[in-house]
Amino acid sequence: MASMTAFSYLTGASALHRMDVRFKLASMILCSLATVKAQADGLLLLTLALGIILVYIRLPLNILIRELRYFSFLLLFVFIARSLATPGEPFIKLSFVTLTYEGINDGALVCWRLSNIVFVGIIFVATTRPSALKTAVEWWLRPLPFVPEQRVAVMMSLVIRFMPVILEQARETADAQKARGVENRKNPFYRLKKIALPVLIRTFITADELAVAMDARCYTEKRTSVSLTACRNDWLILGGVILFCCLMVV
Amino acid sequence: MNIIEIKNLSHHFADGAIGIDDINLTIREGEFVVFAGMNGSGKSTLFRHLNGLLTPSNGTVILDGVSVADDPKRARRMVGMVFQNADSQIVGETVYDDVAFGPENLGLKRDIIAQRVSEALNAVNLSTHADQRPHLLSGGEKRRLAIAGILAMGSRVLVFDEPFSNLDYPGIRQVLNQIVTLHHAGHTILIATHDLEKVICHAQRLIFMKAGNIIRDGAPNDNLKEAERFGVRAPCASRFGKEPVSWLL
Ligand SMILES: Nc1ncnc2c1ncn2[C@@H]1O[C@H](COP(=O)(O)OP(=O)(O)OP(=O)(O)O)[C@@H](O)[C@H]1O
Ligand SMILES: [Mg+2]
Repeated sequence: MASMTAFSYLTGASALHRMDVRFKLASMILCSLATVKAQADGLLLLTLALGIILVYIRLPLNILIRELRYFSFLLLFVFIARSLATPGEPFIKLSFVTLTYEGINDGALVCWRLSNIVFVGIIFVATTRPSALKTAVEWWLRPLPFVPEQRVAVMMSLVIRFMPVILEQARETADAQKARGVENRKNPFYRLKKIALPVLIRTFITADELAVAMDARCYTEKRTSVSLTACRNDWLILGGVILFCCLMVV
Repeated sequence: MNIIEIKNLSHHFADGAIGIDDINLTIREGEFVVFAGMNGSGKSTLFRHLNGLLTPSNGTVILDGVSVADDPKRARRMVGMVFQNADSQIVGETVYDDVAFGPENLGLKRDIIAQRVSEALNAVNLSTHADQRPHLLSGGEKRRLAIAGILAMGSRVLVFDEPFSNLDYPGIRQVLNQIVTLHHAGHTILIATHDLEKVICHAQRLIFMKAGNIIRDGAPNDNLKEAERFGVRAPCASRFGKEPVSWLL
């Protein structure tokens, strides 16, 4: 467990760390929504802002890039699918598929949006303690009827708690299989099958052990929760984010 | 005074396997007891009855006059457990959060939690690591973190399942030192192990388990020489007819 993944909390004392999580959560959702609506200039604006924040909160960029390797495959896949499926003026025409200008444009935009959203998420997770996030989610869900807000919040914080564990185990299993020459098998489906099952089983076992350890320490849903206090800065930042999102969309 | 009283305790698993079989045992407050036995002899199964993680098929466990079945929450507060796998018992994103997990579950006030956490971290010498990520600690530090986690709940009985597995020599000494200090401070200590070498010198009582039964129970000096009959290696020194020496020296 020595090398940690990017998708987890990073201790720090930046303004983002100190921000009230309810406001941070709202800002994150606003940014993601604005991203979906934004065009290239809006996206560029957000990417620049995210870049500055990434450096500001001192996220280890080299690790981040390594972690996002698999995500880039997904992006590539989306890009290719989009470029081929969008009708328009042909760019390259092979026997039965056509790559269109509109498709390339469209695919690039979609990929850009996806990566922006992922980075917004990464920054949010890196600067937010799961316990605080849990309290914030609970607070937002409280006005909704028929939603068991405490249970939903616990589940969310557990998912975040487990992300690094699953990734770490996937990596360990992959290494163990490499040591036994799995790279000689070229079929990616075969390799996926061989890695998915052991990782799943190990994740269940770890989850089980964790559940017992939590039980042993009196785990209940009704716990002392983190006290949230909003200050003037939180309102200022939220105002800034709203302004920024409007800028992005128009 | 007996802090733990176990009467006719049996546990049969759903698949028919017998975990423990008709165990009777009393432990006095402040005792230091080592449970030894081969893999599968039932040590972990027995321990998990002390705080109600497992429900007995038969029999009762009484903690300081109150049965575990009647008040499992009290049992969990009273009996703190450190598990074999140090990684899978980390719940917090920072050392501080992890120690605070127990007191938060007890519903204590924020300022009391803060006080308990800092006391517990002081007790295991981890105060300077409060903001670190627990997964980045060394093996010995992770075990000490787990100990702090149960100290913060105010546990009187401390139960350790294989506390030295996966540790290097300095790690073993750190954890052992911690356990001995806590014993001197008045805690009741229970340790399960199949490796007597490291702890036996500090134990007051040695219990051998085999196939879910307690087969020997007495002072280490008396029953240590029988260890290898029960599949547990005797400490080096006692094989040569000498007294075992503490790992802390
Ligand atoms: N969940 C389970 N389901 C079925 N049988 C189990 C389960 N857990 C333990 N057992 C069985 O109960 C018996 C006692 O196991 P236990 O884990 O208590 O032994 P142990 O003394 O702690 O061994 P180790 O030194 O390996 O930790 C073993 O025979 C084991 O196979
Ligand atoms: Mg065991």
